[in-house]
Amino acid sequence: MPVAVLMSDYDLPTRSASGFVLRYIAPRLEPVHLYAIMARRVPFELSAPQSDLIIGVGHGDEVGFSGQNEAVILEVGKYNPVEVRGKVIKLLSCQTGIALGPDLVKNGAAAFLGYVDDYVWLCDADLASTPWSDKMATACLMPVVDSLNALLDGKTCREAFQIELDGYSRNAEVEEDELAKSCLEFNRENAVLLGDPAGRVRKRPKLPLPFRLVPPPPLLVPLRR
Amino acid sequence: MPNEEWEKVKQALKKPATPEAMKEAAQAFERYQVVKLAKGKGSKPTLVTLGRGRGYPNAVPVNKIPEELAKNPNFFNLMQRVVK
Repeated sequence: MPVAVLMSDYDLPTRSASGFVLRYIAPRLEPVHLYAIMARRVPFELSAPQSDLIIGVGHGDEVGFSGQNEAVILEVGKYNPVEVRGKVIKLLSCQTGIALGPDLVKNGAAAFLGYVDDYVWLCDADLASTPWSDKMATACLMPVVDSLNALLDGKTCREAFQIELDGYSRNAEVEEDELAKSCLEFNRENAVLLGDPAGRVRKRPKLPLPFRLVPPPPLLVPLRR
Repeated sequence: MPNEEWEKVKQALKKPATPEAMKEAAQAFERYQVVKLAKGKGSKPTLVTLGRGRGYPNAVPVNKIPEELAKNPNFFNLMQRVVK
């Protein structure tokens, strides 16, 4: 099942979020991975029309979603509807649920999962080369990973969305750090599902057991300050 | 268990973003940090966001939050939304 995965990686937030997708989502997908320098408009234009699911990690605002070094990838009114028609789109980005998400759905996207305010979390800057090992970021980012894995395993958008919300609630309940807890509650409140809640993508093939995802090698490219 | 210093941070963030309120929130956050924040959780805890052009940094080390709160009304507004 073809999936376009955009993982920008140039500053601490994109490194941290993309690290989790790289570690827990990307290895089990067909290789349409637009990572780092490939997370740009032209590679996206080429891969998106053939994909069932679009997963994007990058900075965003009300009207746009950007990839590597803030290269605009999707902006309200500035993309070809063929890129999004019939697709389930998940953007791990800030505020794209306000105007961009509704615009994507209006232009034919089956469903959109995103956020109507900033997506905030705590991470450990000292673990930038192995972001997937950052326990501090796990509380916020694993619910997103779990939700995406559910979607890829054949759950509906509504079910996958609920998995993400439940993950935030569960983690907030046991979180001792008040700031981290506030971040979890904030992200849960701002998560949105637009379009068809019953939408789903084709199930990816099951992996035979025993099966173990091997972590990627450390990311050594320096980050922008 | 609710932390008394955190309650003070929450109260300070309920006020409009005036220089006095921003300073008060910064001081409250500093006191909170001394008591609790990120204790034993990591070597460089940083608050990050995936926003674009929002008038505040995308990554603020937790120990620099008071400084940012005191000088940046946009960051103060973000913290107001996050901490309720």
